[in-house]
Amino acid sequence: MVHLSSFLLKTYHGGHIVIRLAMAGHKQSNRPFYRIVAAYNKRARDSKYIEQLGSYDPLPNIYNEKLVSINSGRIKYWMGCGAHSTKPVAKLLGLAGFFPLHPMTVTETEFHRALAELAEEAAPEDGVKQQQL
Amino acid sequence: MFQVITRSTPVIRLLAPRGAVLVEAVRGRKTRTDPKAKSKEGRIKTPPPVDPVEMVVLRERFTEYDLIMRALRLEFKEEMLRKRYEEEVGSLAEERAKQEAEEHRSLMTWNQEENLRMLKIRELRVQKEVEAAEVKKTEAAILREQAMESFVKEKGEEIMRIQEEAKSFINLENLDQRIEEALDNPKNYNFAIDKDGRVVKRTVLQCRLLQT
Repeated sequence: MVHLSSFLLKTYHGGHIVIRLAMAGHKQSNRPFYRIVAAYNKRARDSKYIEQLGSYDPLPNIYNEKLVSINSGRIKYWMGCGAHSTKPVAKLLGLAGFFPLHPMTVTETEFHRALAELAEEAAPEDGVKQQQL
Repeated sequence: MFQVITRSTPVIRLLAPRGAVLVEAVRGRKTRTDPKAKSKEGRIKTPPPVDPVEMVVLRERFTEYDLIMRALRLEFKEEMLRKRYEEEVGSLAEERAKQEAEEHRSLMTWNQEENLRMLKIRELRVQKEVEAAEVKKTEAAILREQAMESFVKEKGEEIMRIQEEAKSFINLENLDQRIEEALDNPKNYNFAIDKDGRVVKRTVLQCRLLQT
């Protein structure tokens, strides 16, 4: 059927455009896959969006990579038009280098590093203690 | 149970870490009159403890981040506006407009020529049709006149025939005479006809009579 009306007919009062992750199809599988999407704030997460700006695959592939695609030109356009971005998208783009690094990424990495150091300190101490014993 | 406050007046939150969300209590599952749960009677709600060092560090990081993000947004906006301006008013746009105008003009002239050509062809065709129609008309007129003449002639002949027949009609004067004539001469219409067309005037009875 041919839709004669425009694609996104609904008008929103006081809504804005966001760049966010939307789950892409495949509802009955244990396999999530996200699309980086420009959509109206009020819309449901997976429903009609304005434009797709990329994708993010959270499960690592055989080379242990998580693949992300970004359409930088269009993201620039939407940011220029006044679109907001959600936290996960901001973090992703910060890691990619498009945005500055998100403070929470930095804080979390510091935290993990401190934990790892503590674990390292604990492990050789145990090893030394055992040798002493 | 908790709902996020949007549109609240900007409140300076000194102790709250930057990037936190203002939350207020909202009636969820239980009504105003429902008693508190037994396990929650003596509970005193305290917010999670905040590490001041961490908070300061995070605050400054977030201010820096917000600054950079704002600057980026403005840059993107400027770039978009510039691109749009270029599209509409830039040098390339002018050239494109000129080319399109030239193309339009050439197409219009071609169209005009085509129109003239078709006009000439049409005029010739129309002329021929008009002549053919005239010829047809004259022919039809001639035929009509001929038909009229023949009709008139036929009617005249019929009149003559009837006039002649009228001489032998029965009038009031001839009536007695004709009656007597008819009574004097009885006519016999009794005859048979053969397949070959031979007329036989004698009836079966007459034949038998004649035979015997």
